[in-house]
Amino acid sequence: MTQAAPRLTVEGLSAGYGRIEVLHGLGLAVAPGELLAVVGANGAGKTTLLRVISGLLPARAGRVLLDGRAVTGMAAEKLASAGLAHVPENRLVFPGMSVADNLSLGAYARRRGSGEAVERDRRFVLDLFPRLADRLAQPAGTLSGGEQQMLAIGRGLMAGPKLLLLDEPSLGLAPKLVSEIFAVLGRLRDQGDLGIVLVEQNARAALRIADRAIVLDRGQVLLQGTPKALLDDSRVQAAYLGRGYTEVAR
Amino acid sequence: MTAGVIDFLQLTVAGLSAGSAYGLVAVGFVTIHSVTGIINLAQGEFAMVAAFVAIALLAAGLPLPIAGLLAVLVVALGAAVVERVAIAPAAGSSVVAYIMLTLGVSITLKASVLLIEGPQSKALPAFTGGILSFGGVLVRPQDLWILAATLVAALGLYAFLERTVTGKAFRACAEQPTAARLVGVSPARMSTLSFVLAGTVGAVAGVVSSPVIQTDWNIGLFLGLKGFVAASLGGLASIPAAIAGGLLLGVVESLGAFYVSSGLRDAIAFFVLIVVLVARPGGVFGRTQAAARV
Repeated sequence: MTQAAPRLTVEGLSAGYGRIEVLHGLGLAVAPGELLAVVGANGAGKTTLLRVISGLLPARAGRVLLDGRAVTGMAAEKLASAGLAHVPENRLVFPGMSVADNLSLGAYARRRGSGEAVERDRRFVLDLFPRLADRLAQPAGTLSGGEQQMLAIGRGLMAGPKLLLLDEPSLGLAPKLVSEIFAVLGRLRDQGDLGIVLVEQNARAALRIADRAIVLDRGQVLLQGTPKALLDDSRVQAAYLGRGYTEVAR
Repeated sequence: MTAGVIDFLQLTVAGLSAGSAYGLVAVGFVTIHSVTGIINLAQGEFAMVAAFVAIALLAAGLPLPIAGLLAVLVVALGAAVVERVAIAPAAGSSVVAYIMLTLGVSITLKASVLLIEGPQSKALPAFTGGILSFGGVLVRPQDLWILAATLVAALGLYAFLERTVTGKAFRACAEQPTAARLVGVSPARMSTLSFVLAGTVGAVAGVVSSPVIQTDWNIGLFLGLKGFVAASLGGLASIPAAIAGGLLLGVVESLGAFYVSSGLRDAIAFFVLIVVLVARPGGVFGRTQAAARV
């Protein structure tokens, strides 16, 4: 028996906007049930990486494999039914539609699938985020930033994904909400074989729940390893955790 | 009632009837613009072509209700063909390119009808004859047909957008296109659907208003321009506001033509448009532009 293919494999990936190349031959892999944190400074290419994986932005070179199947160049709307859910930067909930409608649209790609599985995932999401259960009829645009983030994650989970991409879920949220959301991400990691890629500016919080992490720098993988190894690395401390700031400044 | 009040009410009913047609055409502008960002300059021609198809089917011996429904169906499908053939291949083009494309569609439709039907105007017969009197206020039955058809079309569209999965996907695509793609909604399909919806409401407007406005090959220009004014009253973003904008425009036009000068009838719409674009570019009923972008 062969070993199961990784949930996600990225090989030699290059991509960019116009004449500017943002990613230069980047590679990574995520195993089933693994949470990979991707940290790095602003402009390192974290969001671009997720946009290429989910098909929002074309790759210029390299390939993306989902469960061993090449999906490079597949349109985002097709990838949604191939088991990939992308929770985008800034949440992008459907503001004029109710929380319930936002969630059921998350399952749009499963229309032909079983309604029972969708209903099970809906209960699972509302159990993860009980605040959403209280606001099902409310327009998503009237939710707080933290609630919108919960809804965006819930909408992603409604697709019944095998791979979940999360772009800066902590962005603009109060510390208490950040820990609430990261606790849920920890629960998702511990259960089942969902692969998770977590892009975060908040490196400390991301490394706390990750199985493995990579540090992106100017479109390339600078470092990778266990969260512990990265937390102990002096370069990571200086650049991304704010420790040793005074020494660098001097 | 005094003669003045009766005049006023009669003019208001006539205005609401004309305004219903503007409102339906306006809804077509909104459905296409909200999903694709395109201003469809052939929107008025959808109404004009539907009226001529209905007139031709009636002349071929079909009963009026069948001819009318078939005409709406033909134009709805025709609009899908227009989108696939003329709009979709240009995906990603600039706004100017789309203006040229839809203008090209508009001219093609006008020229085809002019060649086939000639320059003279034609009309469907009124759906029911006679004249109704409500306490001295005389109303053409066709005005009630127009209002009823508008109500049915608007409610049908509302039910589709609010209650069906495809309708919700359509709204999702208008509200947040990137997120819609990420949940699996195809923007290309929604673009086609937006033309089908616009063709349907435009065709309904063309068929039901034909008995009162006399259809000719060029009528789409006026319907389209007035529908655009009505749609811009709602900031090109809201279907209820587009209908309200159409009704308002129809009434203002009707009253203005009587109390000010009948020569001003067509100028009123453009006066309204200029005032709206200068004073409230986000629409009178609409949100301000900044809020609409959030």
